[in-house]
Amino acid sequence: MEKKELLKNEQVERLLSPHPLSFMKLQTLCIFMIVWGIVVFWLANSPQYGGWLKGNLWFPFMFWAIILLFIGVIASLVAIQWSIFLLYLGVVLGGLGLLFWQPLWQKDFQSLILFILVYSIIVSIIGFLIVELYRRSHKYYITNLRIIFKGGLLTKRERTIRYDKISDINSRQGILGQIFGFGTIIPISESGFGLGSDKSMAGGGVEVGGTKARLFGFAGGGKEVQTPIARSYYELHGVYPFKDVQKLVENMVQSHVPTQYQKEQVEFTKQQVDIQKQMRDLLHQQVKGKPRTKTMKQKPAEEEEEPEEEESEKEEEAFPQEQVDIQKQMQELLKKQRVMRPAKDEAEEEEEAEEEEEEKKKDEREVA
Amino acid sequence: MATVLLDVDVLVLAPLALIIGITALWLLQLLCIDIDKRMLEKLRHQHEAFARFTNFTGVLFQGLSHALGYTVTHSGVAHFKVTVNYSKVEPKREKQGAFAWTSTLLLYLGPFLLPTGIMLLYSYFVLTNGFSFPASVQYTFVRTLSNFGGTISTFTQSMGRFLVSMDLLNPVHVLFLLILLFLGLGIRPSYIGEERKEKVNFLYDLKNVTMHFIKKPLYILVFFAVVYGLFLLSLALNANWYVVFFSVLGLFSVIGIIALLLAFLLLALIWTSDKIAPGWRLVPFLTLPISYGAIRTLFFYVPQDNILGWSLLGMILATIVVTVLLIKYKKTNRFKTVGWMKHTRVADGKKRASQK
Repeated sequence: MEKKELLKNEQVERLLSPHPLSFMKLQTLCIFMIVWGIVVFWLANSPQYGGWLKGNLWFPFMFWAIILLFIGVIASLVAIQWSIFLLYLGVVLGGLGLLFWQPLWQKDFQSLILFILVYSIIVSIIGFLIVELYRRSHKYYITNLRIIFKGGLLTKRERTIRYDKISDINSRQGILGQIFGFGTIIPISESGFGLGSDKSMAGGGVEVGGTKARLFGFAGGGKEVQTPIARSYYELHGVYPFKDVQKLVENMVQSHVPTQYQKEQVEFTKQQVDIQKQMRDLLHQQVKGKPRTKTMKQKPAEEEEEPEEEESEKEEEAFPQEQVDIQKQMQELLKKQRVMRPAKDEAEEEEEAEEEEEEKKKDEREVA
Repeated sequence: MATVLLDVDVLVLAPLALIIGITALWLLQLLCIDIDKRMLEKLRHQHEAFARFTNFTGVLFQGLSHALGYTVTHSGVAHFKVTVNYSKVEPKREKQGAFAWTSTLLLYLGPFLLPTGIMLLYSYFVLTNGFSFPASVQYTFVRTLSNFGGTISTFTQSMGRFLVSMDLLNPVHVLFLLILLFLGLGIRPSYIGEERKEKVNFLYDLKNVTMHFIKKPLYILVFFAVVYGLFLLSLALNANWYVVFFSVLGLFSVIGIIALLLAFLLLALIWTSDKIAPGWRLVPFLTLPISYGAIRTLFFYVPQDNILGWSLLGMILATIVVTVLLIKYKKTNRFKTVGWMKHTRVADGKKRASQK
């Protein structure tokens, strides 16, 4: 993350990315493809179990493709993610396309089953690489002000959430996460970003006995339960070490919750009121102890136009030591009041000072 | 029905023979578990995730056994939770007496029986001529024990033959080996609870089972009554049920012991590879499949007898030679792998060489 992307006074506390095993669901799809390719190759070569596959040249490919698509449907229904089925469909169609493109690979049985094995392995390796690239595209920045999520391979996605806008933190650690020490943290915003609901539907029809007897089946299911769900680029997905990160985020949120802020404000206001009370008392003292001449000071403008030097001399004469002390005390209180402003960083103060200087210079120019 | 001479040997000692045989096998299994756990303890500081994995498998088997205990006794399972550190199973109905005793007994003994039982079913499809039970039994102490030993011996030999002629290009064989390793690594958890105060070892298991029996001495009598009842029934019907029942329990133990020995080999390889410099540490593990593939390819072009056995032997020898050479020439700097330093790095998640 570039420095210019950071806000004023923002510091990156921790830079995180998902654990290599945190995308195991996607990696499992690739592992299954390799295993299935090996099993089909072994079955086709096995004289004990693979005899039926030799009935037709296309039987091994059809067997491989049907099981792959069937598993794709099951996985899609379970994970409520149809992209899995589409992925496997793409793999099957790709294989079919390659076989038609290069007839050498389907010239005999051995060539075809070797093609299935090699194709499965190559596609799986490509899959592993894409998953790894996808994982590496994720970056999570935990700063002192907010959490920034970045991710996406082709389309870059980004989410920012301020700690005071986090209403709930959901944490999840699977068995693999428990073993390797990683887990997922979903910060749910006040707007409900980070919550979702699951729905899954499946339909099918079977026709038995031509036009006379038909049997159709339809299965569907849905649930509207609000659960913490977010894409991996909108959550702290598979971060390591999970417990430390969880504690860090919770501490950050705790230090930014409005109640804490309000407490500090109330304390600050109390101190301000105390100072003002002291100031009032001092003013009373000042007014009581002032000579008559001082009260007469607020008079027509003619008198005010008198030379300043004379007036100051008069004042010095008019104010006794007690009044000077009161004024000193008031000055000290004013200084204290300034110091008691809500804590600002040095950088901010410097900027403010610079701004003040610039304003002064502007004023001077205008005067000139 | 065959005529049997009823004397003390037949009526009293013969049933005890199999109880003694089973107890001996079970103790041997416990000893193997303890050896593996001690080995794992040595690896823990460098392979925390691996140790957690083995613990999880142990806890999983224990949780499943506990749930099975509640299911068998009709208590029902109201809550089931398994984590890396512990398992929690709660019954729907709290039952007392024999039901509670049985479910607790299954909790203690289930981890030794449940996973090995699954493996026994698997091995039925993989092994050839591994299961031979005596058709008729001569009911004396020595004969009963020798029949039991014969069954165990036949199975062990068959399993041994299978393991030394395993085809690692056959998915069914590879799956069998992987499950066997999985079973061996997690037959018992190393610890229970996040604090790891409760260490599970040989003494822990023995203490639990002994306490369980001591608490309810009446049930020991019930146990022996059931055992003797089964024996007398077998005797009366001249069937070999009694021997078959205990032989199956013995086969569970044999599978467990073989799994533990295989797991020990894996642990020993990991322990040895830790002595190699980090960049080269994976080489022994890569040597296993590469050497096997190379030897099988060689035998494909140069056909020989007993290719599978020679390939396995070649793979093991190649791995040993490579590991020894790497230890000799690429030994790690031991100073960098001191345990407490590694712990410090893991604990706070920052890469740091030493504690500040």
